[in-house]
Amino acid sequence: MTISGPGVSGAELDTAAVTAPRTGRRKAPRAGLPRKLTPDYISFLAVFFVLPVALFLVFVIWPFIQAVYVSLTNWTGFSPNMSFVGLDNFVRLFQDSAFMQAMANNALLAVVVPLVTIVIALLFASLITVGGPSHGQVRGLRGSTFYRVVSFFPYVIPAIVIAILWNMIYAPSGLLNGVLGVFGIDTNQFAWLGDQRTAMAASIFVMVWGMVGFYMVLFIAAIKGIPAETLEAARIDGAGRFRTVTSIMLPQIRDNVQTSYIYLGIAALDAFVYMAGLNSTGGPNNSTLVMSQYLFRTAFEKGQFGLATAMGVVLAVLSLAFAGIVMLVFRLIGGKDEGGRS
Amino acid sequence: METKDASIISRRSLLRGAALAAVMVPLGVSLASCAGPSGGSGSGSAGGTKSADNPFGVAANSKVDAVIFDGGYGVDYVENAAKIMGGNKKLDGATAKISPSTKIAQELQPRFVGGNPPDLIDNSGANSIGWNTILDQLEDLTDVLESNNLEGTKISDTLYGGVKDPGTFGGKFVAINYFMTVFGLWYSSSLFEKDGYKVPTSWQDLKDLGAAAKAKGKYLFVWGKEAATYYQTLVIDSAVIQSGDDVRLPLENLKENCWSHPTLQSILTILYDLIQAGYMKPGGSGTQFTQAQSQWSLDEAALLYPSGSWIENEMKKQTADGFKMMGIPELPLDDKQTTPKGTMRAEAGEPFVVPTKAKNAAGGKELLRTMLSKEAATWTAKSKFAPTIVKGTVPDDAFGSTALASQIKMLDAAGENVFTIKSTNLYGMNSDQLPIWNSFLDGKMTVAEITKALQDLVDKVRNDSSVTKIEIK
Repeated sequence: MTISGPGVSGAELDTAAVTAPRTGRRKAPRAGLPRKLTPDYISFLAVFFVLPVALFLVFVIWPFIQAVYVSLTNWTGFSPNMSFVGLDNFVRLFQDSAFMQAMANNALLAVVVPLVTIVIALLFASLITVGGPSHGQVRGLRGSTFYRVVSFFPYVIPAIVIAILWNMIYAPSGLLNGVLGVFGIDTNQFAWLGDQRTAMAASIFVMVWGMVGFYMVLFIAAIKGIPAETLEAARIDGAGRFRTVTSIMLPQIRDNVQTSYIYLGIAALDAFVYMAGLNSTGGPNNSTLVMSQYLFRTAFEKGQFGLATAMGVVLAVLSLAFAGIVMLVFRLIGGKDEGGRS
Repeated sequence: METKDASIISRRSLLRGAALAAVMVPLGVSLASCAGPSGGSGSGSAGGTKSADNPFGVAANSKVDAVIFDGGYGVDYVENAAKIMGGNKKLDGATAKISPSTKIAQELQPRFVGGNPPDLIDNSGANSIGWNTILDQLEDLTDVLESNNLEGTKISDTLYGGVKDPGTFGGKFVAINYFMTVFGLWYSSSLFEKDGYKVPTSWQDLKDLGAAAKAKGKYLFVWGKEAATYYQTLVIDSAVIQSGDDVRLPLENLKENCWSHPTLQSILTILYDLIQAGYMKPGGSGTQFTQAQSQWSLDEAALLYPSGSWIENEMKKQTADGFKMMGIPELPLDDKQTTPKGTMRAEAGEPFVVPTKAKNAAGGKELLRTMLSKEAATWTAKSKFAPTIVKGTVPDDAFGSTALASQIKMLDAAGENVFTIKSTNLYGMNSDQLPIWNSFLDGKMTVAEITKALQDLVDKVRNDSSVTKIEIK
C-alpha cells in the first residue's frame, strides 16, 4: 500500500498524512516512506512542520545554545567583545562558597517546599471531597465550598506582593510579634527574617502559604475525576476515610501528584521572587540566598555575564535532573504496573 | 515506488536534516553574533563647527538622547537643563530628549552591546552599570570642564574641590558627578538640646553618649538590613579621617591584611563594645532600612544615623515635627587625627557619562555643559535642597533647611580636604558585605570574625583574574 500511487487525490493525501499513525498503517514499511512533492504536500509541510520547527529553533534552541556558549566566555555584558575561556567559569562556580551555599539552599527548598505543599494540599483536598459524614453519599466536610474558595485566595495575589506582605508581618515590630504578644508570648521584637535559625523556615512557610491553595484545587479536580462508584464500593467494603484516601484515591491521582511535584520543585529551584522580596540581601549569613538571586547579582552588579550565564546553565541542568529524579522515584514506588505510561 | 526515489524525501531523512539544522544554525549564528556587533562607528555623525559658543561642535537641529536615573533626585533637573539648551540660539535648534529609567544596567545593556548607546547617561542607582565593565567605551570628559559655561566662566573654576576624583578611573576622567554628597552622622539638634546630649567629637565620646541615651530609654544607633553597610562606610571613613591614606590606599587597592590596620581594628572594637552594651537597636537584620530610618527620624528611638546627605530628602515625609536635622563629619578615633581638621568624605554623586559610540556625543557633552551653568545649577539646588558640584548656588539661609545649611558649612570647612571610597562599588562588593555586617551589628560576630570575613572578600576579588583591577590613587 502506497499513498503516492496513481489516483490518490491531494485532499486524501492530506488526511492520510494527518492521521498517519493509524493502526492499519502501522504495518507499512516505515523507512523511506516516499511521497511526491506536490504543492499541497509542501504547503502542508511548511505550516505544520517547518514553521513550528523554525519557531522552536529561534525561540528555544538558539537561546539555549547561545547561553551555553556565553557561559564558556568572560563576557562582561556591556561590550561586544568576549573571549573563550573554556570551563573556567564552571570551575570557579564550584569553588565559590557563596554559590555552593545558594545551591544547597535551593536543594533544601526543592525537597521541602513540594513535599510540605503537596501533603497539606492533599490533606485539604481529601477533607473537602471525602472527609464528610460516613453515611450517605461520599462527600466533603460541611462548608467545603467556602474553604475551597478561601484557600485559593493567596494564589490570586502576585508572588512579589505576598513576599513584601510577609516581609512586613515578620518585621520586629510587625504583625506576627504583635499577635504573639496578645497571647502573652513576649518575643522581644524577634527578627524572624533576620535570624539564621528562623529565616529559611519563615521563607519556606511563605512559599507554601502562597501555593497550597492552587494545588488543593488541582487535587480536588483530580479526585472528582475518580468515579463515585469506586469510592462507594470501597466504603461498602468497609474502608475508612484514611484507607480510602491512601488505597483508592492516591493511586488514581498519582500522575497529578507527580506533575505537581515537578512543577513545585522547579518553582523552588527558582524561588527568585519570594526570596528577593523577603530578604533581598540573601538573609543572615546568606542563609536564604538562592542561585537565581546570586546570578542576578553577578550579572548586573558585578558585570560578569559569562559567570552568571554559567550559573544559569547549572540551574537548567539541575532542574532537568530534578524532573528526571522525581519521575524515576514515582516509577519505582508503584508505576511498574502501568508499563510505558509515566 | 522505487523509481520515484530521486524526487522525494523520506520523513525520516527530513527529520534528521531538521535536527541537524537545529543544532548547526543557531551555533553558526551565535558564533557569528559574537564577532558581530562592533559596528556603530564612533561619534561619526556629521558634526557642526566648533566655536566658543558651541565648544563641542553640536550639529544643527540634532537630537540628544539622554537616559537619566529616576531616583531620589528625579529627572526634572535634567529636563530643565534640556529646556535651557533647546532655547540656546547659538546651537541652531539642537534639542534633547530625556528618558527616565530606574534600571540603568538592564535597560542599556543591549544598547551597549548593539553599539548604539545613548548620548548621555546618569549611571546611578542600585542597578547601575559596573565601571570596570564599560570604562573603555566612555568619552574622556576633561574637555567639558575645560570649556566655558553659559555665563562665560571656565567650568573647572566654578566647582567644589575633589569633584573629579569619583569620576576618574585608572587616570581616565569619564564621569561628571553632578550632586555633592556629604557623608556624616545625622542627628536632631532640637532633641540634643532638649535632652542635653553632647555632640560627639571622636569615637571615644560615643560610649558616654550611648549610656546617656539608654538612660532616657533610647538607643545610640539603629540599622536596617539593606543598609547595614552604612556602618562599614562609617568605620572606613572614620579610620581614613584618623589615619589618612595609610588606611585608604590599601583598602582601595585590595591589599592583603588591609582590614587589620590598627585604626580600623580600634574603631571596630569600640563599635563591637557599643553593640554588646545594647546601644544598637536590636532586630535591624529583619527590618527594612526605610523602616529603620523612620525609627530614627520619626520615632526618635535612636540618636544618630550614619548616612549620606540624601537622608534629608529620603525621609522628608517621615520626619518628626521640630526635628532639626543637622550633620557632623564622621568621627576620628581620638583627638590625634593625622589629617587636617575638617577632613571628611564628600563626593560628587550621580555620575553622568558620554559613551564613545554615541551618535551625538558632542550633544551629550553640550547638555552636560548646560547643566553645569550657574542658571541650571541654581535651579537644581533650589528645587532639590541639595548642592550641586557648582559652588555658590545655595544662599546663606539654605532655603530654610538646617541639614542643607550644615552640609554647606561642612563643605566650606573641609575645603580641598575631602576624600572618596570607590572600591566597594567598583567591584560590586556591597551585596557580599551586607550579610556580614548584618551579623556583626546583630552582635553575632566578634571583631576577629568580621575582619576575617571582610578580608576574605577582598582577597577573593584580588585573586580573581577575570576582574579588571583599577589602581586608585
